[in-house]
This record gives sequence, C-alpha cells and structure tokens, in this order.
Amino acid sequence: MSFFNNLFNKRERSAQVAKERLLTVLVHDRVKLTPEKLEELKAELSAVVARYVPEAEPAEIEVTLLRGESADMLKADIPLRRSRHDE
Amino acid sequence: MARVITITSGKGGVGKTTTTANLGTALAMRGARVAVIDADIGLRNLDVVMGLENRIVYDLVDVIEGRARLRQALIKDKRLPELFLLPAAQTRDKEAVTPEDMIALTNQMRSDFDYILVDSPAGIEGGFRNAIAGANEVLIVTTPEVSAVRDADRIVGLVEAAEKGPPRLIINRINSRLVNRGEMLSMEEVVEILAIEPVGVVPDDETIVISTNRGEVAVFDQNSQAGRAFINIARRVAGEDVPLMALTDQQGVLDRFFGLFGRKAR
Repeated sequence: MSFFNNLFNKRERSAQVAKERLLTVLVHDRVKLTPEKLEELKAELSAVVARYVPEAEPAEIEVTLLRGESADMLKADIPLRRSRHDE
Repeated sequence: MARVITITSGKGGVGKTTTTANLGTALAMRGARVAVIDADIGLRNLDVVMGLENRIVYDLVDVIEGRARLRQALIKDKRLPELFLLPAAQTRDKEAVTPEDMIALTNQMRSDFDYILVDSPAGIEGGFRNAIAGANEVLIVTTPEVSAVRDADRIVGLVEAAEKGPPRLIINRINSRLVNRGEMLSMEEVVEILAIEPVGVVPDDETIVISTNRGEVAVFDQNSQAGRAFINIARRVAGEDVPLMALTDQQGVLDRFFGLFGRKAR
C-alpha cells in the first residue's frame, strides 16, 4: 500500500506473511483434516474424475483448504491434458 | 452475585497472570469486591506478581480438601481492602483438583464478591478444564505472534464447546512501531483472524517488567501505558463503553517514512 514501503522494501511485510500463514494453519486446525485423510480424498476424487473426464491428470490433482470471506473452502485443482497443443 | 471470569490463553508466557493481577486490581480500584484465584496448581505465580508471596498460609487445595476455611486462605491485598488472592498450591499437582471442586468453590465465593477472576494455567488439559469449570465468562489473552494466535484459536473452540459463551480477547504486548512498519500483526488483524470480540489491547511496555520485579501491579503506576490499558479493560469488563486504544496505524505515513531511517516520528 504505502509508496515508501514499496519503494524501499520489496519483500512482503512479515505481518502479512504471518497473517496468511495463520489463516492457512487455522483452517487445517479447525477442519481436522489430517494429511493422511487428505491423500485419501485426493485418491478417491481422481478416481471419480477419471471416470468422467479422461483428460484429467490424476497425479496432478491438488486439494487445498482455504479461508474464505464468509466460509472456508476446500478447493480442488484438476489440470486437464491438452490433446492438441501439448508438447 | 459475582461474575466469575477466567483468564486463559492456551500458550504459556503471553501474560495471563499479569493480566489477572492488573485487571483484578483495576476492578478493585473502582470499588468492586474482587477475588483472584490462582488455578495454576504446582506453578504458583499470581502471588509473586501481586507481591503477596510472604503472606501465604493456606492455598486453594487446602480449602478444597477441607484443611482450611476459605476465609483463612484468602489473602488481603497490600493496598486495596476489597481485593483478595486465593493462591495455588505449590507442592501439589493439578490432579488434586477437579472441575466439580472449582464449581463448588466459586459458587461458595459468589455471594461475597462482585468479581472472581480465575488465572488459568497454560495448555488445554486438566488445569485449563478446572479453570474454566466455574466460569460464566472467559477472556483469552494472546500476543500478536503466530504461535500465540494459533493456540488462542484452539482455546476459542474449546471454550465454545464448553458452553461458556463467546470468549472475549485481550491482545497483549503490541509494539506499535512494529505494527506501523508492517512487521507485527495489528489488533485489527488478530481480531479478524480469531473472530471474537476484543476487550482490550495492551502495549508492550517495560514498566510491566519493572513493576513485576517489585511485586507491584502496573495499574498503580500513572506513567505506565500498559497500566492505563488494563484500567480501560477493567472499565470495559465493568460494562462501560470505552473505545479501544488504537495502537496501530495512527501516525501513518510519517511514522512509516521516519521508520525507514530508524527514527521515531512522534
């Protein structure tokens, strides 16, 4: 925000870093989704997705917990293979 | 009938005992009848913070186990005739007390006081459970650090699960220069993260170290910023409408500008 801050200090302010880290940690604490359970969820999710969308890359699915404005979010990113412009 | 207010935090070392001593004293300065209970069995500390360590004869466990009557165990403050301390036992552990004991104890005390403040041990186990058992209200103390805020969030959940009503928040040791430089979470940010109502912000203030060394409480010191903050917290707890001290961005751009060169804008 501040002109001077941006001018002299390119690094993100530590308070902002702290806030973002806390928001992530707290969502995980609150939801009590263990890394193990999250892996299970990903495995099942990719199996389901693969049945409907063959282009999905099961290994690349990412599931993240996010803190939203009014609700926390479980977000799944499912990259799709491009059939034509792929290298 | 007394309001029983437990002061807790999750993380240790954030200022629960200092807060209990100062808040209790500030409430008594307003003319209220106040008892402060040290519920940290085995790690007694409220007595030394209040400078009453030489007067202890009986403690909380003595009262619970019937070796002493409440009246014998309560220690009158050095200055305020309506302020009393019930010290923790030092040679016992927290298993010596149950939540039912604490409920019975606070109920027994209710008619003699306006406020009963319970200084909780750190943690989320037996000692914490005991400390909140008799409470009608809970104040959570945190500092603007990731570890303390994370633990505070855990405590919020436990207090809500125990049906103690929504806990309120005291943010201790705010360093306004660091906040202004964006290197410390501000009051607003901590409140936003924890989503509970704040009752006060206490600046990081060396007068607390000095007064604690002497066994005095900061609220007696006219020059202590932290002491003034605790007096304001007492007023809010008593139901007065006192605006929160903004220890944040007020000096704004100028302070940030001078902050860059290591100087203080005042």
